[in-house]
Amino acid sequence: MRMNTYPDVIVIGAGLSGLTAAWQLAARGHRVRLITKGWGATHWHSGCIDVLGYFPIGNTPPVSLPRETLATLIANMPEHPYALVGIERLEAALDAFATLCHDAGYPLHGSLDSQWLLPSAVGAFRPTCLAPETMMAGDLSRHDREPMLIVGFERLNDFYPELIAANLIKQGHLARGTLVETPTLRRQKAINTLVLARLFEQATFRAEFIAAVKPKLGKAERVGIPAVLGFDNALAIKAELEKAFDRPIFEIPTVPPSVPGMRLHRILTRAIERAGGDIRTGMQVVAADTKGDRVTTIWTEAAARRVPHHADTFVLATGGILGGGITTTYTGEVREVVFGLPVNAPTDRMAWLYRDVLDERGHPIFRAGIRVNSSFRPLDGETPRYTNVHVIGTTLDGCEPLRERSFEGIAIATGFAVQDALPTTNHSTSA
Amino acid sequence: MFVEQTLDNCIKCNICVTECPVAAVTDKFPGPKYEGPQAARFRQPNQPLTDWSVDYCSGCRVCNMVCPTGVRIAEINARARAEMVRKGAFGWRTRLRNNLLARSELLGKVGHPIAPLANALLQNPLGRLAAEMTLGIARHAPLPTFSRERFTAWYRAHQPANAPKGKVVYFHGCSTEYYEPRVGRAAVRVLEANGFDVIIPPQHCCGLPLLSNGEFDAARNYHRRNVNSLVEYARQGIPIVGTSTSCTLTLKEEAPELLDAFDEESRLVAERTFDLSEFLLNLHTRGELNTEFRSIDLRAVYHPPCQYRAHRVGRPSLELLRLIPGLDIVESHAACCGIAGTYGFKAEKYEIAMQVGQPLFDLVRATGGPIAICDSETCRWQITHGSGVPSVHPMELLALAYGYEPEGVLQQQTL
Repeated sequence: MRMNTYPDVIVIGAGLSGLTAAWQLAARGHRVRLITKGWGATHWHSGCIDVLGYFPIGNTPPVSLPRETLATLIANMPEHPYALVGIERLEAALDAFATLCHDAGYPLHGSLDSQWLLPSAVGAFRPTCLAPETMMAGDLSRHDREPMLIVGFERLNDFYPELIAANLIKQGHLARGTLVETPTLRRQKAINTLVLARLFEQATFRAEFIAAVKPKLGKAERVGIPAVLGFDNALAIKAELEKAFDRPIFEIPTVPPSVPGMRLHRILTRAIERAGGDIRTGMQVVAADTKGDRVTTIWTEAAARRVPHHADTFVLATGGILGGGITTTYTGEVREVVFGLPVNAPTDRMAWLYRDVLDERGHPIFRAGIRVNSSFRPLDGETPRYTNVHVIGTTLDGCEPLRERSFEGIAIATGFAVQDALPTTNHSTSA
Repeated sequence: MFVEQTLDNCIKCNICVTECPVAAVTDKFPGPKYEGPQAARFRQPNQPLTDWSVDYCSGCRVCNMVCPTGVRIAEINARARAEMVRKGAFGWRTRLRNNLLARSELLGKVGHPIAPLANALLQNPLGRLAAEMTLGIARHAPLPTFSRERFTAWYRAHQPANAPKGKVVYFHGCSTEYYEPRVGRAAVRVLEANGFDVIIPPQHCCGLPLLSNGEFDAARNYHRRNVNSLVEYARQGIPIVGTSTSCTLTLKEEAPELLDAFDEESRLVAERTFDLSEFLLNLHTRGELNTEFRSIDLRAVYHPPCQYRAHRVGRPSLELLRLIPGLDIVESHAACCGIAGTYGFKAEKYEIAMQVGQPLFDLVRATGGPIAICDSETCRWQITHGSGVPSVHPMELLALAYGYEPEGVLQQQTL
């Protein structure tokens, strides 16, 4: 393993885009240092890769053929991150990511030519492009006549099987909800997704769970449970339960902490370290030194003083207004927190939000982002502000990841594509 | 930002809970989010204590390192424990036990002159059983043995080398002074191999064990005395380096932050304090490190202590060790060894500490090297206790690579 005392690339931020960029760059021979304040969006997201759920945004049915709709989007929105990346590179990014997960024993399934409709933790449907194998049997578009049993756990907050079932029934599916408890769970002081995921890694608990659910199966032809089937052996655990139930089972993503999101996080961080990348957490960037149109050094907060980090290239993956990469002040300023890059956002504070919190137009402040050129260099007017800074992920302007349901797609696509904008490396390559 | 103010940054995302090594093995501690920012909202003046479980926080700071919004969770918990102590929530027996464990300087002063007797007592199974039953000091926990010679006695007799690079203050800490003077000898040799004149001013316990037991008043006293002793050097711009990552973290940040010691002198000392590996790596980035290392053919696990990660300077020891030819370092990604200073020595927490450390013990055993490497003394003792593999400080290997005679366990290796 290489050590990165002298990195040539520093990636700032450890959400899905930063992790993807660090993994790809390290695998291609760059000496990568990933600097992050803490872990991020991977622990919050569903563990599925949403590429494009809705377009145009509004009261429309979900996208059913992402490839076709992406072509329309790209033609209509030349500043959208997908337009910068292009369908070819988007598909290459998804392939690379799926291969990584497959090789880690945690396959993702799907493609740009179809869309999964998977149940959410309130029983709504979620359009998504790549889904882990543990969630596939929940598909609402293809198995809609197979009755479902939704199983929850006593005292697990924010996962209510009867609510999920009721909402599924409203959408024309057959579903029933039930809560289970086991002797081990009764002894637990607190129940959350982590506790359950750790318990599912134990054979004795799985046996208890099987015994508790089996009598309740009835006419159900598939079983949905919260996404807690362990961290590293989810597939094997799923297979064991399916054998016992003689029915397919599927995971439903939960509110944070999201176990399927953590699985992807582990796969990515291991890939980065395997490729020689150096991950540093607890480091918040507090200042940057520049020389002309280049950033030379960033400074991170540390015990008693600041610490400098030098590199040739900096990849900014700190997220948007939700991730903390962009922030606002009471005086109406919208700021990019690391380099103070110009943010495309309404300058009038009153224009940030509409009066109605669920306004169908979507609040303008959530579209705040950094405009970039085709090599992801941040623009000041029409020229790059810095030539060795590249901005990726949901820090970018021109998209609305929440309402488009394009969060992970944009993160992975831009995290993958940014390598093309970097000078090629002559370090040893071991991809 | 002050410690308590940071709790307003908490967005309840639970990331800290996902990484907490204690919550992963026991439900006596539900997790940092619940005990830290959430419970802190109820810890108001004239309000009853919220919950005992905060005392099961080991203070490893893994939560701080992964929090995406900068909440100082471990410090919030440390202050909550101090408030419990202040309010008399702990019985006299617990406080006596905690003070015995936490007053490392006092222990050293008392135990060292009678080292053979003290060692015999401390390693005697019957004595240990009695200590567990009466005081709650875990009978299997890895208590160190007093060394025959104090580190500073060796230093006074030591003939300094030529020192063209100027002066460095060495903060050796209690464990080097009373238990493992070989670490201090290695540090002095490494600094001298780089042309420094090593100064060792009078010094006291850094106060960290007291801080993590909620005994803030006693800790404040020690910190003040250290600052008084060190500030003159700091004013002259002389770096203060240490080999105990927890001592240096305390001087840099923990004591000022937890004790609200924001005076100019504390700040000066903090700013001039470095972990020794951090200091040497800084030399290396300036091209000033002596890199004439002889080869050490050895494969070993290096575990960066939680206290070192909390410095937020990366893994300088790892980078230094990788400069030594022949040395094949396996980096530990384990969250914590479990001991967390005095935590794993307590009877009610011993099992938790052992379970927390299990993945690390497994890695050390699986790697199968003759030694493991770690910067922090209590972590080294715990690693050896849990894995059966002797542990050394990185400076011991650096000193060996500079051609000094090996000491301790390194002596028994054919390197």
